[in-house]
Amino acid sequence: MSNELEELPEASSRPPLSERMKTPEGKTIIKVATVVSVLTVLLLIFCIWWPLISLPPTMSDTQAEVKNTLLIFSIASAPVMALVWGIAYYSLRHWNAGSGDTPPEDGPSIRDNNRLSLAWVVGSALLTAFLLVWGLAALTSTTTLPTDAKPLTINVIGQQWLWNFQYPEDGGVTSNELILPKDRPVIFNVTSTDVIHSFWIPEMGIKIDANPRVTTTTLTTPDTLGVFNVRCAELCGLNHSYMETSGRVVAPADFDQWVKDQGGTPGALVPLDVNKIEPKE
Amino acid sequence: MADTEIVSHGTAHAEESTGGGLMRRLNMWTGIVVGVIAAVVVYFIAAKLWVNPDNENMAQGPDQAVIAAEVAWVIGFLVGVGAFVAPFRWLLGRDQTHDDEMFLAGKGQGVGRYLRFTTDHKVVGVQYLVLAMTTFGVGGILAMTIRTKLASPGEGLFGGQIYNGLVGMHGIIMIVSTIIMVVGPWGNFIMPIMIGARDMAFPRLNALSFWTLFPVVPIFLSVAFLGGIPTGWVAYAPLSDQAPPGMDAFAVGIIMFVISSGIGAVNLIVTATTMRAHGMTWNRTPIFVLGVTATSVLGLIALPCFEVGMIETLLDRSQEASFFVPEQGGSQWLYANLFWIMGHPEVYVILIPATAAILEMTPVFSRKPLFGARLAAMGIIALVALSVLVWAHHMFVSGWAPTLAGPFMLTTELISIPTGMIFLVLIGTIWRGRIWTRLPMLFVYGFLWNFMIGGITGIFLSDVPADNELHGALFVTAHFHYTLLGGAMIGAMAAIVYWFSKMTGRMFDERIGTWSFYTIMIGFNVTFMAMFFNGLSGMPRRVADYDPQYLIGNMISTAGAYVIAIGMLLFLYATVSSWRNGPIASANPWGAKTLEWYVPSPPPLENFEHLPVVTGDAYGYGEPNTIHTTHPGVPAVAQVAALAEGDAS
Repeated sequence: MSNELEELPEASSRPPLSERMKTPEGKTIIKVATVVSVLTVLLLIFCIWWPLISLPPTMSDTQAEVKNTLLIFSIASAPVMALVWGIAYYSLRHWNAGSGDTPPEDGPSIRDNNRLSLAWVVGSALLTAFLLVWGLAALTSTTTLPTDAKPLTINVIGQQWLWNFQYPEDGGVTSNELILPKDRPVIFNVTSTDVIHSFWIPEMGIKIDANPRVTTTTLTTPDTLGVFNVRCAELCGLNHSYMETSGRVVAPADFDQWVKDQGGTPGALVPLDVNKIEPKE
Repeated sequence: MADTEIVSHGTAHAEESTGGGLMRRLNMWTGIVVGVIAAVVVYFIAAKLWVNPDNENMAQGPDQAVIAAEVAWVIGFLVGVGAFVAPFRWLLGRDQTHDDEMFLAGKGQGVGRYLRFTTDHKVVGVQYLVLAMTTFGVGGILAMTIRTKLASPGEGLFGGQIYNGLVGMHGIIMIVSTIIMVVGPWGNFIMPIMIGARDMAFPRLNALSFWTLFPVVPIFLSVAFLGGIPTGWVAYAPLSDQAPPGMDAFAVGIIMFVISSGIGAVNLIVTATTMRAHGMTWNRTPIFVLGVTATSVLGLIALPCFEVGMIETLLDRSQEASFFVPEQGGSQWLYANLFWIMGHPEVYVILIPATAAILEMTPVFSRKPLFGARLAAMGIIALVALSVLVWAHHMFVSGWAPTLAGPFMLTTELISIPTGMIFLVLIGTIWRGRIWTRLPMLFVYGFLWNFMIGGITGIFLSDVPADNELHGALFVTAHFHYTLLGGAMIGAMAAIVYWFSKMTGRMFDERIGTWSFYTIMIGFNVTFMAMFFNGLSGMPRRVADYDPQYLIGNMISTAGAYVIAIGMLLFLYATVSSWRNGPIASANPWGAKTLEWYVPSPPPLENFEHLPVVTGDAYGYGEPNTIHTTHPGVPAVAQVAALAEGDAS
């Protein structure tokens, strides 16, 4: 970033760097660079601290990916913010002409700086390209099923204002609590009986709308034992804020036991068409 | 408001009316009376016609009656306010006399012209400003109600139904206010003077666009008395299909608003493209004019999609059509697409004029030419072009076309490049300037701070996996408030302070204005920073109740919101008190070079006695050879004096 700064004042001839740094412009550049660097460090501390204390506990591979992405984006934004704010701050400090009644004298007529503009656009394009590549990689990895384990399919049905879960591969067990086995990929087939809801597990970084008459799909692999929340993230009417339930990630053996307790048979396939679901009373 | 100086036109006309006595008696009040009568009559007729006493299912009845009555209110109001007087006279084979035209332009009517169908662009500008500030106040009161309710978890002040209604009302009223808050007042008042025109291209359409918007405000308020809307302002189907009749009023309001903004946009585009002063090439056109024009083009493309969506929603609700009802073969994704094809460009319709106003005043208060003016123009045009190609990033989690996630992530992230150009232009202009820290410049700094945060967090949301976590969370609410309130609203307030003296002839009270600036900035950042934290930790948006773990963040947000409210009240006080008895302003208190500063404050009817000729751009600070304008017909000595006054006063 400091490369771009050096070009702000017009440098017509190019004496060695050490000489240029001793001119008034050079000193200005050093001061601005110092301000920007200090600001970068301060912002970096904030930008790393902020997602880490806020994000819910990580309970799946998807959420790990989300957390990394947010951290990387947050870190990448620190120098950009520092650059703009640092220059704005420095200008205000050093070229402040007061707030008198009459306008101050005119400043230097700097209309353009093609090299700086080009560097700025190329720099932001490169940053964008990096973010895009990162995003596409993360998108691919979060939408690809791991091949090393047999996935579990769960039907998720939203209705105003509760969630139902069906386990068609475990004897058609139904539940209002979402129980997931640890370390096994889960495919959620999501639909709704009335209006649009949005199936969201904050701790697993997955969210997909539950649409009436359509099935949407998302997937993740829970990798931590514990309790998580299932929320609705799309305004769906009167009790939208109460459309939440809890879920648990349990060990595979405990999962089989839970299925048996619910009257199902682990591994018994019951064809359930997610699109032919009647609302519960 | 000081009386305008009247430019005499040709021979003096006799004062007595040449017919059209009725036209001179119509004003806002007659409009309201005719509108209310029309609405009541039509409501009862429609209710009688549609509700079949033999049919037990009368649920359809109120919908049709409400739609008919709300439409009748708008048409009745427009008739009553005198919007169709001239066309009606042409039908009778009579033309408007010169006196009639001068009457319509508000000549010699004092304050009364602000309550009439007045064609003078400056009157329309003032009307827009007052309307925008009023609706913004209403939206702000709704926001305070929401924040007060959310100060503690649990049922609290009211339940989900009222809460959802409030969220929707707050949303739409704020969207409407922010769409008009720069283009309405300053696009109409300043832009024509800035390009050296005597009025807009279509003065009567200009008045029509305002007076079509005016009856929309009561329509949106009536939503609350018709059961509210449970959907938020996005009005997603099929939830909109089960909504009470408030939804019908909402839809009619949107349709009328889009018509009003379309009329205004066409007028602004034609004015800016055809009525620029002699010599004002696009390169010499001030950036604000370019911003307003680009915004108008964008609004004209985007907003009708919302209109279409609302017309189809009304058909679904009242005529048993099934555009968006999945049970009958419709598609909720069709609505979502229509909505967001409008919805994303719409945020740029809000943002670009405010940004252009900031770009316009940064050179004035840095006493330096606009740095990279072409880059700024390219940035604005690129924003307009890209903004129509990114709508599906609002639908990443909808399940519609998952294969398009990558392409839309690309287009969305590309937006950071033109946004970056605008930031470069801003700091490049400030760099090595003579920074005159009057109140508009403080707002420029506030814009740099808030909009940076808003823009950066937008990049977070453009990333599909991150969006899967954050979509529908409070993080999104915080993000777009940083861009629309922290960016656009701050820009709009800067515009008010900057152009206040031109509009009112008085200086803005900068002492109280500065207090309000700092109060708003602190309150705003506290409120929405806390929302970022809560959103990241998983609190959904638009919820009436929340888990206790989010209590602290919500309390901080509510406290911050009250600080914003205090700041806004201070700003309102400064505006009103300065308007009433601020110190008299000179023609050019800022020493700026754009054309509006060469006419008296406030400008007379038809602005220029002699039309200016433009010889350079308006940013020649520190360049004695770049002269923006000369005035043929004015003696050279007076021109020099005017220029000197412009530079020194």
